[in-house]
Amino acid sequence: MTTTTMIELFIDGIARGLVFALLGAGITLVFGLGNILNIAIGVFAIIALIATVQLLAVSSSVAVAAVGGLAFVAVLGLAVDRTLLSLVYRKDGEERILLGIFVTLGLMLFFEGVLFVEFPEGFTLSHGIPSLTVAGVSVRGSTQIIILISSIVLLLLFLFLNLTYLGKATRTVFQDETGALLCGINPRRIQTLIFVVSVVFAGLAGILQGFETDLRPAAAFELTVFAIIVSIVGGVRNIRGTVVAGLLLGLVITYANFFIGAFVAKMILFGVAVVVLLLRPEEIA
Amino acid sequence: MSRLFTSSVDARWAAVALAFLTVLPLYVMETAGTYQARLLELFLVFALITMALNIVFAHTDQLFLFTGALAGISTYTTAALVDATGVTVWLLFPVGVLAAGGLGVLVSYVAARLKMSIIVIAILTLSLQLAATEFFQGARSITGGTTGISFPGMEVPFLEEAAGLPPQVVNYYLLLVVLAVSFVLYSRMMRSRYGLAFDAIRQDEVAAESIGINVVKYKMIAGFTAAVLIGLVGPLYATAEGRVTPSAFTFQSVDVLVLIMLVLGGMRTMLGPVVGAALVILINEQLDVFGQWETAVYGLLLIVLFLYFNEGVVPKVEEYAERFELKERIRRQLDRNG
Repeated sequence: MTTTTMIELFIDGIARGLVFALLGAGITLVFGLGNILNIAIGVFAIIALIATVQLLAVSSSVAVAAVGGLAFVAVLGLAVDRTLLSLVYRKDGEERILLGIFVTLGLMLFFEGVLFVEFPEGFTLSHGIPSLTVAGVSVRGSTQIIILISSIVLLLLFLFLNLTYLGKATRTVFQDETGALLCGINPRRIQTLIFVVSVVFAGLAGILQGFETDLRPAAAFELTVFAIIVSIVGGVRNIRGTVVAGLLLGLVITYANFFIGAFVAKMILFGVAVVVLLLRPEEIA
Repeated sequence: MSRLFTSSVDARWAAVALAFLTVLPLYVMETAGTYQARLLELFLVFALITMALNIVFAHTDQLFLFTGALAGISTYTTAALVDATGVTVWLLFPVGVLAAGGLGVLVSYVAARLKMSIIVIAILTLSLQLAATEFFQGARSITGGTTGISFPGMEVPFLEEAAGLPPQVVNYYLLLVVLAVSFVLYSRMMRSRYGLAFDAIRQDEVAAESIGINVVKYKMIAGFTAAVLIGLVGPLYATAEGRVTPSAFTFQSVDVLVLIMLVLGGMRTMLGPVVGAALVILINEQLDVFGQWETAVYGLLLIVLFLYFNEGVVPKVEEYAERFELKERIRRQLDRNG
C-alpha cells in the first residue's frame, strides 16, 4: 500500500463526504425546522440530474443545464411544499413527524414510479475537465468539480445562516417555532424557503454525483438513506455536525470499500447509524 | 369458541372471517388456477405480518420498520440450517423463529430502556432492515447473493395426497391455522391486562409507569410477540415463493406494503390487518391495468391514505354499523335462527 494511493483515497473520500454533506444538510435543515424527515430527498437528487441531462439537448453548456436542472427541482420543491407539506404542517408534535415520514415516503414512491417508467436507464454527465496530477497524486476532473462546488455551496449556507436576517430567522425557528412566531417571524414562510433550499442541495448532490458515476432512479432510496444516516450521526438539528459527519462517513465508506469490499462498507455505515442512535437517542426527539 | 376468545364479539367476527377464508380456496380452485392460489398464500402472509405490526406499532407505538428483515432472518436461518445439517425443515424452523423473536425483543428492550421516541425506533429499525438486506445480498457464501438459495419449503406431502390439494392450497391452510391462532392470541391479549397496559402506555407512558405498569416489560412482550409471529410467517412466505431471495425481504417489498395494509384496514382492530391485506392484494391485481405504473400508484395511495383516511376500513364499517344499529339487527336475526 503506497502513500499515493492512501492520499488519492483520502481525496476521493472527501469528495464523497461533501456530496453526503449536501444530502445530509438537506435532511437536517428541513427536520430541524419543521420536524419533517424528508424521505423523498434522494429522488429530488435524481430528478435534478435527469432534468440536467434532458436540458443538455437544448443548451450545450453543462453549467447552464445544471442551473436549469436545479431550477426545475426548486419549482418542484416549492409545489410540493405548498400543497402536500402544508397539509402535514397543520399537525404538530409526534403526529407531524409520523405523517411527514409517510407522506414523503409516498412521494418518493410516486416520483420513483414515474421515473421507472419514463427514465429507467442510468444517467451520467461529462465535464471535460482533465485530471490533475500533483506530486504523483492524480485527482480526477469530476472529483475536482465536486470538491470545489460543494465546498463553495456549503460555505454559502453557513454565511447565509450566520450573517443574513433570513438566516438568523431560520436559526430562530430551529430553536423554537412558537418563540419565532412571537418575534414576528412567520415559520411557515421560512419552512417553505428552506425546503426549496434543501431540495436544491439534494439536486446539486445528484448532479455532482452524476459526474462521477451513473445514477438510476432505483438509487434514489439509497441516497435518502445516506442522507438520513449522515444527518443522524451529525446530530439531526446541527448543520455543522452534519457536514463533519458527511466528511467522516465519506472517508469511512471510501476506505472500507477499498480495503474490505462494498457490502461490508455499507453495513459499517448502517452499523455506525445504529450505534449513534443507541448512544444519543434523545437528540432526535 | 367464545371461551377461547374471552369476548363474544371477537369470537363471532373471527368465526365469520375464518369460515369465509376456509371456503375461499375451494372457490378459487374451482374458478381459477395456481396463480390465484399463490395470491391467496401471499394474502395471508401479508395479513399475518400486518397483524404483527398492529400489535407492536399500533398498540405500543414501536414503529418496527424491519418486518422484512425479521421475516428474512428467520427464513435464512432456517434455510441455511436445513442446507448445512440436512435435517427436516419442520425441526429447524423454530430456531429461525427464535432468532427473529430474539432480535425483536432485543430492539424493544433497548428502545424502551433508552426511552426512544417513535421516530428513533423507526430510523433504528430501518437501519437494521437495510443492513440485513445488504447482508442477504452480499454474504454470498451463506445466503447465495441475489439469486438466493433453494428452500425445500414447509410442505406436507401426505396432506397433499390425502386431501388431493395442490401445494399452494395446503400452504394456505397452514397459514390459516396460524391466523386462527393469532386471532385467539390477539383477542385474549387485548381484552386482558395486557391490552389495558398497552392502552395506558400508548396514551401516556409516564402516567402508566406511575400507576405501576412495567413499561419496559410490556413493550418487550409486544415486540417479542410481533417478531415471533413474523418469524413464523417467514418460512411459509418462502414456501410460497419457492426460493429464499433477498428481494422478497426488502423494505420496499414488505414494510411499505404492510404499512399501507395496516392503515387501510384499521389500526388496533382484530380484522383490520386481514381486510387491509385483502384490499391491497386486490388493488394490486387491478393495478395490472396500470402495469408499470404500479409503484407510482402505491405512492399516491400511501399519501392519500395517511392524509385523508387514517382511521381505516374496519373502524369506519363499525362506525356505520353502530349508526344503523346493524349489530343489533344481526344479533336479533341470529337469535331467531337459534
